Amino acid sequence: MAEEQDFKVAVLSCNGIGRLVSTVVRLAGYKIKQMRPDTVVLLSSGRLAVAEPEHVEMLRKYPLLVIDGCRPHCASFLADELGKKPAAKIYVADVMAENKINVAGEKRRELTEKGQRLVEAVARKAVEEIDRVIADEMLSTL
Amino acid sequence: MADKVCLQPCLGLRKEAVLCRQAFYVVHEDLRAGKTELGCGPALNANVQEDLDFIAMYPVLAVEACDLDCATRLVDKKGKQAARTVRVPEMAKELGINLDSLPEGDNISPDHPAVQTLAKRVAELVDELLAAS
Repeated sequence: MAEEQDFKVAVLSCNGIGRLVSTVVRLAGYKIKQMRPDTVVLLSSGRLAVAEPEHVEMLRKYPLLVIDGCRPHCASFLADELGKKPAAKIYVADVMAENKINVAGEKRRELTEKGQRLVEAVARKAVEEIDRVIADEMLSTL
Repeated sequence: MADKVCLQPCLGLRKEAVLCRQAFYVVHEDLRAGKTELGCGPALNANVQEDLDFIAMYPVLAVEACDLDCATRLVDKKGKQAARTVRVPEMAKELGINLDSLPEGDNISPDHPAVQTLAKRVAELVDELLAAS
């Protein structure tokens, strides 16, 4: 029965430090967890990069949403390195373009309202993907 | 003699990790601008050349949020060794920072006294590494 299943989605954001988008994806991760507290498992890129067993187990157990902040797509690289094919991917620049958000002048150490708008947009997009992935998982069991 | 230190943070999600990264911004942009580089863990893992260069060219100061020591282990994974590893909980105790008062799952302002206090200590560690290199 569907209600007996553990329907969750693991979310892996790059959580880098060097760029403005590093802060955006980290804060978006927290926002996503607030919006879907019972269905989201946030993964730490640091722990996965050193293959910490508990985190690797969660990566393998749940469908994965990857959020890449910048061009090297480091979160995607990490998932690939660990042999996990993401169920969904988000690239922050796509979200920025879709929503016509301009973050020029924002600082990575503390976002203003402009940066927070991008955080909200990334979180909304992520929640749409999470809901879709869970619906797909649920229907596959019925 | 190295002219910079690579600051390699824990990039976890807990408040200790957020405190660390915010302190690193303060050190890199304010306290020791020009004497530090910010090492990005996921980029290093993905073999981004800039991040490989940072750990090859400069002594690495790894600041960890917990005893898993992921930043230090990541540097090891790439064939280098951190020159020094310190942990936020132990530094917080030494510096009188009350971690319980900090928010979980949120940003911490760079102006927060805990960030500023940790940043000053990290800046001292940078000076020590530069003097020793």
